[in-house]
Amino acid sequence: MSIFGSSGFGTGGTGVFGSTAADSHNPMKDIEVTSPPDDSISCLAFSPPSLPGNFLIGGSWANDVRCWEVQDNGQTVPKAQQMHTGPVLDACWSDDGSKVFTASCDKTAKMWDLNSNQAMQIAQHDGPIKAIHWIKAPNYSCIMTGSWDKTLKFWDTRSPNPMMSLQMPERCYCADVVYPMAVVATAERGLIVYQLENQPSEFRRIDSPLKHQHRCVAIFKDKQNKPTGFALGSIEGRVAIHYINPPNPAKDNFTFKCHRSNGTNTTTPQDIYAVNAISFHPVHGTLATVGSDGRFSFWDKDARTKLKTSEQLDQPITACCFNHNGNIFAYASSYDWSKGHEYYNPQKKNYIFLRNAAEELKPRNKK
Amino acid sequence: MIIPLNQHIFNITQQNNLCEGFGNRVWVHPNQQKGSYIQPSSFSSHGSDDWGRGGGGGGGGGRRDNAKSSEFSFSSQNRFSELSAPSTFDRRGMTGDDDDKKLEVIQTDMEIWESSGQWCFSCYSNSKTPLSGFTDFSPEELRLEYYSTRASGDLQGYVNGVNQLLSQWRSRVQELKVMNPAIRTALLSELNNPAPQASSGGFGLTNTTGFGSSAPDFGSRGFGALAPVQASSFSFAAPSGGFGSSGAPSAPTGFGSALAAPTQPLSGFGSSSVPVPLASTFPFAAPASDKPAVASGFGTASGFNFASTANTGSGFGSSFGAEAPVAAGSSSVFGQTSGGFGTTTVPPAAGTGSVSVALNSLFSPESKLAPDELNQFKAKRFTLGQIPLKPPPANMLVV
Repeated sequence: MSIFGSSGFGTGGTGVFGSTAADSHNPMKDIEVTSPPDDSISCLAFSPPSLPGNFLIGGSWANDVRCWEVQDNGQTVPKAQQMHTGPVLDACWSDDGSKVFTASCDKTAKMWDLNSNQAMQIAQHDGPIKAIHWIKAPNYSCIMTGSWDKTLKFWDTRSPNPMMSLQMPERCYCADVVYPMAVVATAERGLIVYQLENQPSEFRRIDSPLKHQHRCVAIFKDKQNKPTGFALGSIEGRVAIHYINPPNPAKDNFTFKCHRSNGTNTTTPQDIYAVNAISFHPVHGTLATVGSDGRFSFWDKDARTKLKTSEQLDQPITACCFNHNGNIFAYASSYDWSKGHEYYNPQKKNYIFLRNAAEELKPRNKK
Repeated sequence: MIIPLNQHIFNITQQNNLCEGFGNRVWVHPNQQKGSYIQPSSFSSHGSDDWGRGGGGGGGGGRRDNAKSSEFSFSSQNRFSELSAPSTFDRRGMTGDDDDKKLEVIQTDMEIWESSGQWCFSCYSNSKTPLSGFTDFSPEELRLEYYSTRASGDLQGYVNGVNQLLSQWRSRVQELKVMNPAIRTALLSELNNPAPQASSGGFGLTNTTGFGSSAPDFGSRGFGALAPVQASSFSFAAPSGGFGSSGAPSAPTGFGSALAAPTQPLSGFGSSSVPVPLASTFPFAAPASDKPAVASGFGTASGFNFASTANTGSGFGSSFGAEAPVAAGSSSVFGQTSGGFGTTTVPPAAGTGSVSVALNSLFSPESKLAPDELNQFKAKRFTLGQIPLKPPPANMLVV
């Protein structure tokens, strides 16, 4: 009777969270994760398939990283927490699920051993670390950190010195890794693809398909499960789908608008919101975007169509992720600073919601 | 392995064309007919929503991309719309027309940018290189600056800096919208003679003039891209002193109606973020010196039973020398109490393993304290018989 099974989304059992009918903090009536962080959530990550069950990691601007167990019936159990001395910007799991890596504005990255509940520093930059990813190659394993100090560094977690340090043209704003490919998007519309075989090296610098600031990036895979391109989101309510080596770039690469206010009323300009995060469904290959407008949307990039858009939450959605089998979609509702400090309310509660993703993310056309 | 990731099928020239090819096509999937798809987008008008509209009022709506043809209409059909044809990357045609087109595109984009409420501190480009006069700061960078400044108590510097950036943005957008001949000429020369490209190792904006530089400099590649964000170098030099009392950002910033700044900005926030040591003092070498900033309120390692299901064989224990998994009963430590995480700064020595139900955290938010209790904490001494049972708010601790 898994609430997250593909047999259907059971809303029963979530009544304990008591969301009222017209509750704009959770208009989708999704499951609320208990004990959410006290400040905006910057990142979410589910445990890899090597761990039985589902464990969710969330980093926040309250300097902490929290771990919850997500049980099959939808209950969430707080498990543990680690601290940095600055806001946490990103987190990821090792492939065996025993470690969580966290990156912070305190310019360090830590390795959190979940069994011993101990964390130790494994990386150091000259500026806040914005992106952290675990790389598992046949001949090496390491952590990749991208920082506002314009470097991309690789660490083997046992040495205080990086295995490799690559210079970037600008501050790292977001990154993604699907071996053997890594993509980093930087300030000033920088876009670099790295290849990770044997050792990381820069593969290609790409002219940005977007006109404005890069905000989030996610790699997608082809039918053979090999990384073949990426989706790039900007602050201008737009996502670009870009294949690395498509047969026909002019046709295969495209952009689409998203996270904008009502467009049918053409007499008034529409509001345009930032795309805060993009996640690809691990099974279906469809994608989710979450935005400053407080909505999430599901898309089929092959059919080039939208699958669903949520109701509007009363806060931006700052992060999202799927669990390893794609049954659960987690998204965080908290302030993303998109309107500056005046709209920051430290008292406002932050949320993480869980939604059954098995059905809604199915591709539109069976090919 | 990846199909031809290591083959450079496209050389740089073709790469350029690749970019330019974007958005020239009206894409209609043959299988998709109007109306055969899922619910239309449920965007609602944002006239009254909480976030309001940022940015200036600006000119009228200008040309709306999605007002044109139905293929581009975002809301009526569940279709992706590409960058519409007249914008961006079309490089075909005569040079003269071409230039005009480019400038038109810029004008339109500026109008849209101004009225859309989108993030202002963003670079902009309708070609390969970013247009001068715009700085690229992510919301996170600004937010970090706010948090760092707040810790020092004087937010006015931050506010002034943001306001300055904002007015620089506004005037640049205005220039580009109006596009007088001087601007036009400068723009054209910039567009047609781009600065050295990415391949040479930079995206052009490497000046570190920092904040406080006044006029946009068209000759160079634009504003200083800020040096790596560190608390020290991120200086919002306040040009003038007075905006009123510090901590109260009274100047309109264009982000919408300014909410009154809380007089105690840290009150509800607890003590969780004290980013003072952002300049890293962290001794890297010895993990042992790493303070176990673990929320050890959760107890020792043995309490961390990672195996959720009945089969307690955790499988992690062996290679990492962890203690034997404790019986499932230990999971009751976490239980269902709403304060499962407690507060964010738990001194290592305190309350090891004792997450009592009554005191879910080390500190109480002010909202949870009765007026009497609050007064007790505020007073110089506790009054016997009236000492609160709940812990004090974090901001009332005198260190």
